[in-house]
Amino acid sequence: MTKAMIEVTRLTKRFGDRIAVDHVSFLAKPGEVVGLLGPNGAGKTTTMRMLTGFLPPSEGGAKIAGHDIAADSLNARRNVGYLPERVPVYPDMTVREYVFFWARLRGQRDARARADAVIAQVNLSERRDTLIRNLSKGMRQRLGFAQALVHDPPVLILDEPTIGIDPRQVIEVRDTVRELGRTKTVLFSTHILSEAEHTCDRVIILHQGRIVAQGQPSDLKRKLRPDATLEEVFLSIVGAERGADK
Amino acid sequence: MTSWIVFRREIAQFLTTPFAYVIGAAVLLLTGILFNRDLNISFSTKPADPALVPGILSFAMVFFAPLLTMRMFAEEQREGTMELLLTAPVRELSIVLGKFLGAWAYFTLLLLLTGVYQVILLSITAPDLGHALSAYIGIWLYGGATLTVGMVFSALTENQIVAAFLGMVALMLLWLADQAGQLFSNIDVAIIFRTMSLQGHFSTSFASGLMRAEDVAFFAGIIAVMLFITAQILESQRWHG
Amino acid sequence: MKRTDSASIIIRRRALGVLGNILGVAGVVIGVIGLIWTGAPGSTVIAAFVVGIGGILLWAVATPQEFAGFFSGRQVRFGTMAIISTILLIGIVALVYLQLLRAAWTFDATQATRYTLSPETERVLSRLSSPMRIIGFYSSRALTTREIDDQFFRLYETATNGLISREYIDPDEQPAIARRYGVQYDGQVFLANVRDDGTVDLATLARVPRGGAQERDITEAIARQLIAGRLTIYFDIGLGERGPLDATQEGVSAVFSGVQESGINARTLDLAQIAAQGGEIPADASAVLFIRPLRDLTDNEIQTVARYLEAGGALLLLTDVLFSEQPFLSERGAFNQFLLENYGIGALDAAVVDPGLSAQTLLDVISAYVFAESDIAARLDPAVNPTLFSVARAVDVKLSETPPNIATGRVIFTTEQAYGETNLTLLGETNTYQYDEGVDLPGPLTTAAWSTNIQTGAKIVLIGDGDFVANGRIVTTDGAVTVPGNGILFTDSVVWLTELSEEIDFQPQMYGQALPLIFVSQQQMDIIAFITVIFMPAAVLLIGIGIWMRRSRR
Ligand SMILES: Nc1ncnc2c1ncn2[C@@H]1O[C@H](COP(=O)(O)OP(=O)(O)OP(=O)(O)O)[C@@H](O)[C@H]1O
Ligand SMILES: [Mg+2]
Repeated sequence: MTKAMIEVTRLTKRFGDRIAVDHVSFLAKPGEVVGLLGPNGAGKTTTMRMLTGFLPPSEGGAKIAGHDIAADSLNARRNVGYLPERVPVYPDMTVREYVFFWARLRGQRDARARADAVIAQVNLSERRDTLIRNLSKGMRQRLGFAQALVHDPPVLILDEPTIGIDPRQVIEVRDTVRELGRTKTVLFSTHILSEAEHTCDRVIILHQGRIVAQGQPSDLKRKLRPDATLEEVFLSIVGAERGADK
Repeated sequence: MTSWIVFRREIAQFLTTPFAYVIGAAVLLLTGILFNRDLNISFSTKPADPALVPGILSFAMVFFAPLLTMRMFAEEQREGTMELLLTAPVRELSIVLGKFLGAWAYFTLLLLLTGVYQVILLSITAPDLGHALSAYIGIWLYGGATLTVGMVFSALTENQIVAAFLGMVALMLLWLADQAGQLFSNIDVAIIFRTMSLQGHFSTSFASGLMRAEDVAFFAGIIAVMLFITAQILESQRWHG
Repeated sequence: MKRTDSASIIIRRRALGVLGNILGVAGVVIGVIGLIWTGAPGSTVIAAFVVGIGGILLWAVATPQEFAGFFSGRQVRFGTMAIISTILLIGIVALVYLQLLRAAWTFDATQATRYTLSPETERVLSRLSSPMRIIGFYSSRALTTREIDDQFFRLYETATNGLISREYIDPDEQPAIARRYGVQYDGQVFLANVRDDGTVDLATLARVPRGGAQERDITEAIARQLIAGRLTIYFDIGLGERGPLDATQEGVSAVFSGVQESGINARTLDLAQIAAQGGEIPADASAVLFIRPLRDLTDNEIQTVARYLEAGGALLLLTDVLFSEQPFLSERGAFNQFLLENYGIGALDAAVVDPGLSAQTLLDVISAYVFAESDIAARLDPAVNPTLFSVARAVDVKLSETPPNIATGRVIFTTEQAYGETNLTLLGETNTYQYDEGVDLPGPLTTAAWSTNIQTGAKIVLIGDGDFVANGRIVTTDGAVTVPGNGILFTDSVVWLTELSEEIDFQPQMYGQALPLIFVSQQQMDIIAFITVIFMPAAVLLIGIGIWMRRSRR
């Protein structure tokens, strides 16, 4: 068995009295695309923020490429490319300046060449001297990808990368994720189930901070009914939970 | 190293957006008017005051420093880039240091522009250049210290207006603290306040042509402590979400 | 309900823990700094440590897990670490600051070296052998003044390696001490010697008159303090002189108190009485001053003076042209003869008239030439500090064939055109004078001279004007110096007579003296205004707008 690139053990985050992430544990191997599913407020973003080192966990821990996110935070961060939910940009920078900046900040040696390469990879070469403020939303999303990829990290964490872009680009993004998933470990969140079904090797369903189901999409479906869609799986779990909670 | 990268982005930001130029033009207009006024007053009656422009700036920085720093963290928070910065393999202190150096470099450029006044004085009289240099070194350090105070408030609140306002209030108090003697009859209390004041380490020393090691230590200390506190605030924001 | 209760208790405990944490670390840090700063555990230091330990105990009791966690090195709440490290950093900065404050490293950047002790000061300080203290009384309102003064005062401390120390007292806080010192105004400064036990010797306390130039004020005060008590000068009052306390225009009270203020003991002496009682001029008399006596000395008195001179005494004789019977130093009088025979100098019965160089009348004689090679005249450059004698008496100096062991010299000389009017009766009655060939003395004439016995050390300065240091000549009512040359002649005569060769007087450094004024034509002014007020701001603004427009089109 190959070594896990993401190793999460009993990861927990509390905001005051509210538990956003509740003892979550899972593994992700190299070359694996893991989908993090869950309704709004399930704790997807919070989990990812802890994995990227933005938020410190309240309890439990995780390792990225073998580096503990708390004790060896800088090295853990070095191995992650992160695309937050809302693409963070400097509107007054050009595409190239922006990607170049992140390349340098993440310690990339041949930063300029690397920046140009990823810009080409996300099809922004023609717009590389455009100010970010003048980019369309889809382009910004691609720019976010470029930023996450620029230091060639073994682990990619993408928070709802397909939100708010047109269907043609959604397909492009899925293709990109699958493509990246061949060599890297990709953890990506979504609440669009068909998306996870098509792109992920494995899905983890989060609800109210807890993992309620995980496995290959096909397995999960089979458990319920041989011809069930993931949609139905999801709703059955969430619905049951909801009934139990109240 | 990472500070250097942040610094480069920061200074580029200053030099490519109109905001910094507007501030720069305002500072030059203010110093220019006062410079001419002083020239008219001292005409044929007294030698040129080498510390005039640094002296004006020492008061002006109470207002300009928070304006220069208010966007520093507020904007990163708003655009979400703070999340990327804090997940990059970089320490908070490097980010803070880089940002500070960027703002300080901008201030340095502004100071160099006001060197024109010295050149003008040189062409019409023989000003005391040593005295001028002392005042300029003083205002350079002083300006750095005011910028770090502004940074603390920029890190504290996401609202730029609030950050600027609080920064100005804090700097105004630090500026006025050397007058504490008028307020407190206990001289030891007054001395402590004066020691904490910006003016107390500038107006009677650097601006009068006397460079004192303790004044350098004061400004360097303010810069170090304020940058450290700013970094701590950034880090604390992770903990509180 | 219960849940919220326990939660609030937890929060309160945590707040207490944070409070204890802050107090503890801050207390200990302040205590350590205080200890390093003062070198001994004073009450403030102990109080800081007590607060610190109390805070740490509070921290430990309120949040025990966290306290234990901190010391066992386990992960601590972020806030605790942040507080401790911030306080420690502030502590380190404060410590460095205080050490540098004590070291007082400064660099004087001014062209006029305003913050560097002048050579005059260094010469005075090199004579310092016992500790002195500058004591300043400043209230909190005068704090800025104190700060400015201190920048100069501390130069003395560093220059003397602490031999001169500084002490500041707040007269509002300690009115009793202020009263003991006789403080008159906020910002008043005193100078005093320091006893072996480190306390101020109040007997040596001297006010430092403030003239706005800190270095000059302090250096003069130190110079005075250095000679304080070592010298005593006697003003004779037994020959009809105006007393030294006479504060009228003709009195010499200004000189008398000036001598006292320079740290020299000034006393009075009655030669007539001493001679009558067969006594002696006191042995501690560094010099005896005869300022415009009205009558000549009796034989008895001459003997007394002669014995004093034999013993190495010093005389300053100020004599006027007098129109009375038996005036002081009458040319043919016994005292004058005694001086000429034994010391080679004497007075002449002639009033100096100088058509070549004089003030209102020809009798107001201005020094035309001084013999700078003598210490007395070294600072009396006629072009800068001329002396002015109103009705001067000519003085006789034997430059050759002097009595054995006697050296003599002139101090002040008139022009070639001057002459000595010998018809004093006419001059006195009608105030007329005219050069009579063969009768009057041809110029140039000497108006001040000196003589010294190399063997005994006796010294005499004879000046042919009795009232050149009268109050009216030295200072006006508002304190301004009228004829600086007269003051210098007196001071330097006394300095020479008392062998106080070091300069008491101190030339001030004037701020801006080396800096030229600004002169610009209106046209230049307009160009400057255009460049600074319009061109530069506009250029910066335009560059900014240009760059922004170009970029935003991308
Ligand atoms: N900084 C914060 N402070 C307090 N509560 C927070 C904070 N961030 C997130 N939460 C809460 O934690 C829970 C999980 O939020 P999170 O953003 O992780 O959900 P999500 O699964 O990403 O939802 P979405 O699909 O809407 O993005 C939510 O209830 C949210 O309100
Ligand atoms: Mg989310």
